Amino acid sequence: MNWTPAALSQDIPSGSAAPGQLGDKDIVIWRSASGRIAAWSDRCPHRGMRLSHGFVRGEFLSCIYHGWRYGDGGQCHRIPAHPELTPPDAIKVPVFAVTESDGVVWVAQKDAEPEAPPPGLAGFSPLRTLRLSARPETVAAAFGGTGLDLRGELGGCAVVVLIQPLPDDQCNLHALAANGADTATLDRVSAALEALRRQAETAEEIAA
Amino acid sequence: MNGEAMRDQWYPVGIAAQLTPAGRDSLLLGEAIRIACDSDGAALVTDGAGRALPVITRFGHVWTTLGQPERDLFTIPEADQPGRRLVDVGTVLVRCSPLRAVENFLDIAHFPFVHTDILGSEPHTEVQRYEVEIRDDVDEVWATKVSFYQPQAAKSAQGGINAEYMYRVPAPTCSVLYKTCPARPEEWDVITLFVQPLTETTCQVWPWMALFDEDSSMTDMIHFQQMIFVQDRSILENQIPALLPLDPGMEIPTRADMTSIAYRRWLKRHGYTYGAQLVAA
Ligand code: FES
Ligand SMILES: [Fe+2]
Repeated sequence: MNWTPAALSQDIPSGSAAPGQLGDKDIVIWRSASGRIAAWSDRCPHRGMRLSHGFVRGEFLSCIYHGWRYGDGGQCHRIPAHPELTPPDAIKVPVFAVTESDGVVWVAQKDAEPEAPPPGLAGFSPLRTLRLSARPETVAAAFGGTGLDLRGELGGCAVVVLIQPLPDDQCNLHALAANGADTATLDRVSAALEALRRQAETAEEIAA
Repeated sequence: MNGEAMRDQWYPVGIAAQLTPAGRDSLLLGEAIRIACDSDGAALVTDGAGRALPVITRFGHVWTTLGQPERDLFTIPEADQPGRRLVDVGTVLVRCSPLRAVENFLDIAHFPFVHTDILGSEPHTEVQRYEVEIRDDVDEVWATKVSFYQPQAAKSAQGGINAEYMYRVPAPTCSVLYKTCPARPEEWDVITLFVQPLTETTCQVWPWMALFDEDSSMTDMIHFQQMIFVQDRSILENQIPALLPLDPGMEIPTRADMTSIAYRRWLKRHGYTYGAQLVAA
């Protein structure tokens, strides 16, 4: 297994949490106040609430339902209904492997952490993430490439488009554009990405 | 059907004062029903085949059943006390298991986080020990001596109080809350949650109240309760799995969850499993 791109770093600012996916698993991607990134199962072990609705304080992520507080390694540190209680070690959120490079957050199964680092993206800056209803092959074909790491030009600018496959013939596109591109150029890339989405979704509908 | 025993129960399907001759379509336990009234305003509920279903009008709501209930619909004697204002709050559609909706209503530990600065606030998060029992004589779940610090316990409350609660579950999708009455400390306010199971993962919630409150307007009391419930909905539509797990192992209860534990045990004992998950998936 390789690292899967799951989000752009800029979309998970310090002190925030957001929903993500790894294959068919729902995950929460969150960043502590000091900037540490983490990817966990998006389900609180107490009563199953999505942790991506939770709140970050310092180095901890708390569940929004009853405020159970989780830290390093998914370990529960505090149960507000019982402030005197030290939560047992067994109360843990399953965690995923996560690494961040060149402005992209990459995740993997914990027990299958890839040996090779994620592909290098030097010379590019993160632009935006788009979700679309098409299979990765269809998107790659529409772009004029193959695989999940597409490189080429869009809107007259050099780009990298990372495809994150999702269940039910969906995927996310995490797009990066050449460093130093001006606003007008980035607007053109953005419009070209949306055109790519329409083209891929139309191709998918015709195929179906 | 999952939870056959739940067919023989009464369910709320509308507000008695809001029936129309033209009627409206709805669902009960996944089956089509229609709620209307005759020319005298009496409630008429029919099933998908047009067959008339039994009807009870009580607590401002119309109740019906698809099966043969052994018992009359429960009563709330306190609600008949003179001087109470009876409030039909209206309805909220929630994409969750009807059983999860009831369980959330029985839970106080979420107040500081979900109803922040209204029903609870940090650092007042501790849940004191309370008492829970399944009363065999009436076949109901009861939690008593529940107390919790509340910044604004009701529309009529001035500032924070330590609110006392009693919870009662007289039917699988209904709960009655007896709560410290800010206006008359010797009486209990009655706040109920009546849940109409549309499917196993969608429900129509009909809160109803019988309060001693001479000052607040009806609109204010309704808005207060609806605001609370909309906050609960944001939780209820985001719990995984959608069905209420009845087998241990899937979730981790603590002492604060004793009411939930008793409720789940009572559901399982009676086979009230429509909206429940029996084996951890
Ligand atoms: S469900 Fe997360 S703290 Fe209760
Ligand atoms: Fe609530």
